[in-house]
Amino acid sequence: MKLKKGSFLWYLYLDKLYCLLSVRNVKALVDYFHLLDVHHKNTLNDVLFYHFLHHVTNLTRTQINIVFNMLDWSAVGEIGFDQFYMLVCILLAQENRLEERFIFRHSRPVFELLDVDGELRVGAANFHMYNFLFNIKRQELRELYHDFDITGDRRLNYKEFKLFTIFFMDKYQERQKAEKEKALLEKKRSRQVNVSQKKSLLGLNGSESRI
Amino acid sequence: MEEKPFKALAKSSGRQGSGKSSRHSDIRKLWTTATLSQPKVNVALSSVCDDSEASSVGGNTRRWYDQKAGRHSDIGWEDSEDGEDKDSFRQEELEEHSLLELQLHGGSSLGSRLEEGDDDARTETERSSSMSSLNFSKHTHHRAYWVEQQSRLPLPLRELMENEALEILTKALQSYRSGIGRDHFLTKQLQRHIEGLKRRRNKRLHVSVH
Repeated sequence: MKLKKGSFLWYLYLDKLYCLLSVRNVKALVDYFHLLDVHHKNTLNDVLFYHFLHHVTNLTRTQINIVFNMLDWSAVGEIGFDQFYMLVCILLAQENRLEERFIFRHSRPVFELLDVDGELRVGAANFHMYNFLFNIKRQELRELYHDFDITGDRRLNYKEFKLFTIFFMDKYQERQKAEKEKALLEKKRSRQVNVSQKKSLLGLNGSESRI
Repeated sequence: MEEKPFKALAKSSGRQGSGKSSRHSDIRKLWTTATLSQPKVNVALSSVCDDSEASSVGGNTRRWYDQKAGRHSDIGWEDSEDGEDKDSFRQEELEEHSLLELQLHGGSSLGSRLEEGDDDARTETERSSSMSSLNFSKHTHHRAYWVEQQSRLPLPLRELMENEALEILTKALQSYRSGIGRDHFLTKQLQRHIEGLKRRRNKRLHVSVH
């Protein structure tokens, strides 16, 4: 999923620690929501919601319908501002590659979103259906069910899911650390190369001057 | 994003005419500190600005300055960082208003007529009507600034939001028409909303051009 560059949402940002919008960003989002709330019900119906998501992302119609059904947790056929805000946070988390941190910080609401049937358990099919939103890879899903399905019912309850988010977050931090170290090493190498090039140039110039 | 609007405004105020800049920056600084410390001030200004559109501008701007000064005295102006005395503030505002009027007399749109030597021919009513229209355009420019200060959203962001909403809703209108028909009340409501947004956008463009 990609946000359209230059769209209004593209200019918002999440706090990197808590993965939430600042008050100013929320105020801007409220104003934006009210511009789209054509019928003055503080909600967006499915048509308005579809055109909004279609305009600002590259999601397909099927995916947009899945998102709408996921957010319409009261099954009223409309999305209120709370759900809209949740969606924007998820979109921004994916855009800024903060999915692991977002799931870790907001494990309960994410679990409730994935638990579409209300059974307090999430199966692999649920994860797979929302993969385009939370970006959990297949290998990670397999590990998830292998390592964390403690009860053995091939579904995760909230506690098992919470353990998974902690593990997911640790893996993310290790990956970040490895990337930083790699970047530092590359920087050092490029500096060394520059220094040796300069030395060789100076050496050449010196020998030419003697000749 | 939080700090940039104030910095952008501070820079833009510096680009205005040097004669006016110090007075504008004083007022803006005072207003900014006022709004930071006194949230209630926001409510009154919008109603006052709406009032100023209905009747002649000259008298109402003076009334607005008086109301603003009076309100600050009620709330407690000494809370601001500058600690301006309310009497000197009112005097400063009135002085600025009279200076604005003087500048309008020497303004470019009047200046071309003066150069032609038609001063004697022009009547008192023509002068006052042109002055009031110039006053109104100047007040509109200021009004955009005050609205931005109140809402705290940068105007370019507001423009972007409205343009994007307009595009989305225009596409939604096509779906409404094909789904529930042109005559359905929801379709008409959406159409009216789109027209309202377009009018607002055109008004904004018109103000920015002039």
